[in-house]
Amino acid sequence: MDEAQLIKGIQQGDRKSFQILVETYQPMVVNTCLGIVHNQADAEDLAQDVFLEIFRTAEKFRGDSKLSTWLYRIATNRSLNLIRNNKRKRFFQSIEETFTGGRNRSSEISENRADQPDQNMADQQRSDLLHRAIDRLPEKQRIAFTLNKYEELPYQQIAEIMEISLASVESLIHRAKKNLQEQLLDCYKKKCV
Amino acid sequence: MNHKSIHNDLIFYLDNELSVEKRTAVEKHLEECADCRSFLAFLQDGMQVIEKEKNPEVSPFFYTRLSARLEEKEESQVQNQWVQLVQPVFFSLLLVAGIYGGLKLGSNASSPKSDQHVTSSIQMLNDFDAEPVESFLLDEL
Ligand SMILES: [Zn+2]
Repeated sequence: MDEAQLIKGIQQGDRKSFQILVETYQPMVVNTCLGIVHNQADAEDLAQDVFLEIFRTAEKFRGDSKLSTWLYRIATNRSLNLIRNNKRKRFFQSIEETFTGGRNRSSEISENRADQPDQNMADQQRSDLLHRAIDRLPEKQRIAFTLNKYEELPYQQIAEIMEISLASVESLIHRAKKNLQEQLLDCYKKKCV
Repeated sequence: MNHKSIHNDLIFYLDNELSVEKRTAVEKHLEECADCRSFLAFLQDGMQVIEKEKNPEVSPFFYTRLSARLEEKEESQVQNQWVQLVQPVFFSLLLVAGIYGGLKLGSNASSPKSDQHVTSSIQMLNDFDAEPVESFLLDEL
């Protein structure tokens, strides 16, 4: 079954077509979300939302761009939204903590740690460091960098997904790498890990 | 080349994005400078995180979960349709009951106080007003 047939099937509410689409694209969608949110459970939840959105809005798909382009757009948008919401939550939590003396936070951190029990400390610190550095990138740099590094997409495809020029993609990824390097250098100098 | 300019190029060196000249210069400096070599290793370890974590094994129950969520949604949509159908009927009945109750209450309350003539005229007025409204709503049902 090709892309157009799959979409047509889904537009008619055919579950089998939907299942084929999900099974074909789930690694790609989960991986993209993971590159932005850095947590597999969150990435899988987001990927589910992405596919539900596809099922609900399939009739809007005109086929003038590739199905993967559409999926990447929804996946990156939803991932950024989750990060924004978490930031907002953390902001209100920090306000709450100034009143409660920070009792609620320790449990959350230990839960995160429990996700990867057999990873050694150095690995954990390294991945925390890189994730923090990626999180500090401006959103567009983060998206371009993630699509390039996690999904290994060529710049041209990233330009289509982000609806920007090829030169802009090159510049975004260049700046993203420079930013990451600066942050890692800063940490290296301060011996932060 | 100094340390600073080397530090600025190392991530591009790792990604093989430097010109031949720059690349050669970086390699020459690295041979001589332990600190830059050490930062290169640090940077490489950091970027390696991506290679290690990307393309994870997706849960085998991914579609099962998704399919369950889809059904949940459809069920709640069917429920919503019922609510959409039943709600206006219920509120119309409530409205009719309210109007009727109000008229009854109004006519009962005014009768003992005022004289017979006024009461009966109000009653007539009420009947005149209320009936078309009531029948209109009932017709709708
Ligand atoms: Zn040096």
